[in-house]
Amino acid sequence: MAGLPLRIEGLTVSGEGGRTLLEVPELSIEPGTAVVVRGPSGAGKSTFLYAVSGILPVTAGRILWGDQVLSEMNDPARAAFRRNQVGFVFQDHLLFEELSAFGNASIAALYAPKNRRAGIRSTGTEQLEKLGLSADEHRISGTYSGGERQRIAVARALAADPAIVLADEPTASLDRENADRLADDLMQLARDNGRTLIAVTHDPAMHAQADRVIDIVDGRIQDSAA
Amino acid sequence: MHRRQFIALGAAFMATPTLLRAEDAFRMRDFYEKDQSFTPLAKELQDERISVNGYMAPPLKADSTFFVLTKRPMAVCPFCETEAEWPDDIMAVYTQRVFRVVPFNRRITVTGVLSLGGYKDPETGFVSRVRLEKSTFELV
Amino acid sequence: MMAFWYDLPVAVQDGLVGLMLLTPAIVLGAVVLRGFETRPLLFALVRQQVWLSIVFVALIAVSVGIGVGLIAQERGLRQGTARAADKFDLIVAAPGSEITAMLAAVYLQASDMPLIDGETYHDIESHPRAELVAPIAFGDSWKDAPVVGTTPQFVVHLAESLTEGRMFASEEEAIAGARVPLSVGDEFSPAHGVGGAAEEDAHRGANYTITGKMPLTGTPWDRAILVPVEAVWGVHGLAVGHGPEWDGVVGPPFEPRYFPGTPAVLVRADSLGSTYGLQATFNNDETMAFFPGTILARLHALMGDVRQLMSVLAVITQVLVTASVLAGLMMLTKLLSRRLALLRALGAPGRFVFALTWSYAVFLIVIGAASGLTLGVLASWAISQAITARTDILVQATLDWPEIHIVAGFISLTSILALLPALLTMKRSVIAGLRG
Repeated sequence: MAGLPLRIEGLTVSGEGGRTLLEVPELSIEPGTAVVVRGPSGAGKSTFLYAVSGILPVTAGRILWGDQVLSEMNDPARAAFRRNQVGFVFQDHLLFEELSAFGNASIAALYAPKNRRAGIRSTGTEQLEKLGLSADEHRISGTYSGGERQRIAVARALAADPAIVLADEPTASLDRENADRLADDLMQLARDNGRTLIAVTHDPAMHAQADRVIDIVDGRIQDSAA
Repeated sequence: MHRRQFIALGAAFMATPTLLRAEDAFRMRDFYEKDQSFTPLAKELQDERISVNGYMAPPLKADSTFFVLTKRPMAVCPFCETEAEWPDDIMAVYTQRVFRVVPFNRRITVTGVLSLGGYKDPETGFVSRVRLEKSTFELV
Repeated sequence: MMAFWYDLPVAVQDGLVGLMLLTPAIVLGAVVLRGFETRPLLFALVRQQVWLSIVFVALIAVSVGIGVGLIAQERGLRQGTARAADKFDLIVAAPGSEITAMLAAVYLQASDMPLIDGETYHDIESHPRAELVAPIAFGDSWKDAPVVGTTPQFVVHLAESLTEGRMFASEEEAIAGARVPLSVGDEFSPAHGVGGAAEEDAHRGANYTITGKMPLTGTPWDRAILVPVEAVWGVHGLAVGHGPEWDGVVGPPFEPRYFPGTPAVLVRADSLGSTYGLQATFNNDETMAFFPGTILARLHALMGDVRQLMSVLAVITQVLVTASVLAGLMMLTKLLSRRLALLRALGAPGRFVFALTWSYAVFLIVIGAASGLTLGVLASWAISQAITARTDILVQATLDWPEIHIVAGFISLTSILALLPALLTMKRSVIAGLRG
């Protein structure tokens, strides 16, 4: 699915007790760009990711993906948005260890409409193969190495052919070799079909491949540079 | 939960239960002439599901689907009949399920399919002339 | 419509009622799971919490098993004791306790009972409506086996046909029940009395030869030895029921003057009506006449009441166990909360996560209930075996509709209750869940 542009206006996200976690007065991201978000820990990077994916409701302001106003959607609509448009890669892969690589990669098929299930399964298999993994249905993913598991997570993020890929420290728990490989794979595969990629990462290897880097300090977006 | 409640529940699902009224039920004398032959009414009702009022005689077999319906409470009846003709104006009742015994002096309404003519129960050897089959009963 | 229902075979009625009881669970399942494939994830979750799942299933199984076992056991006892009394339509004995007389005459639990004299016996025997009249003269024994004096006609009535050998024809011959450790041709000497009070040497010199064996009947009579009643009288030094010109052929007719007495008489009438007529006739000042079936039905009713009371306790146990299992499930969903939050972060519909949690609970409930059904029948089987070994009354454990109905109702009820923990998982914050 072709990428979507992101537009944020006057965004505030507050945590419990009204503490401001994130403020973004204005931000635009062109469709098809690979953006890296960096900043010290606790600066609000993950909050940013959760806000633009709709996991976290906004306190004020607007988030628009193309002409879809995410900030005005209710919970089920945001879930539907994620399921149809967003692929997510988490820091420590977060797989169902008891399912196979294929089972994890195609997990969205379990709750997708019937006419989309076959597509998700074949795309999931395809992505696993591109990532150098076989869709062995009998081997549970708990038995794969850390690097392999994170690649399964990438395949899962791409299986439903999303317009947007969001990644939260995807290489943080990997050794250098695996981290580099994953950074390359993610950058390449996520940008297929002109998807928009936003990755929160400290990894210089990813910074180097990004179209644009955004810094967040103390919950505020700093000037961004290409 | 008691089985009968289930059945009642089941029946309620199947259809609106037609509540049985004691005054709609037949009495045993409706089926016998003085000479113990069957009345025209009995012959007409053969093979129909009907209701009959009476009393449950003390059961001959425990845990069975068979009992004898008498027109008067059993413990009174034997003393008011001469022994030789005692009591052939009874009905054999075959229930759908193993039933719980009701005291002989409680009036009951039995609903079942009327069957006439001599029949020897292959299991108990009891011979009966009039039967209510596939029966259920309730206290009046 | 009502008539239509009652015209259905009982098994069809029971099947329909069972189906109806299961309907809420089935409908709920269809609605909750519609459009989703929860199975792979369900099994993944069960595997992740396999021990906890086993504990939950075991708890449910034991509580359901107790309820099922009670019902199956009561039915087994009812059927077994009723079957053992099947051949005994009407018993006439000297006035006293009907239950004592029934236990002695039908179940061979011998007790000291007054005798019915020759005149009375003659009255019964010569009654025009009596088809079969036979004395049941218990009191002697050989080892554990009661030795009962009676007539060839009674043996035929009881056993229908012998599996081996022939009917006793003289005072020195006997028929053994199927479980008596004596074979055709074996000889034995009876003791006076039964059990610990038996006097081994009282009948020294009296010897019987086994001439036939009865088939297995599943009653205490399998352990009994049947001898001509004349022999019992003879052994005790009494008249033998026949006059001096007796030709030695055992069995009726008996001479009232030479009839020493019998503690119980079995009567079978020629018709249903006469069965009641004979009972009325011989239930008088000199004798009591009763239907073992009636006495047994009264005892069964008592047993049924006790069982129902116990069933109430069993139901309370089931409810308590289910409540604690559901409480446990709520905690379990906390253990699973990271996985459930992950699904929601990935964009799975809330209803999917709800369906997954619900199906997890119902999976444990159904497996637990099915195991409970098996467990209950197995327990009832073990108890029945022990009872049969002790009493020789064949008690059989079976699986029947009432317990299936209870289990179906249990599944439906608890699958409705299982909506609760499923609902609670929806309330948890996704972010908190993701961070574990």
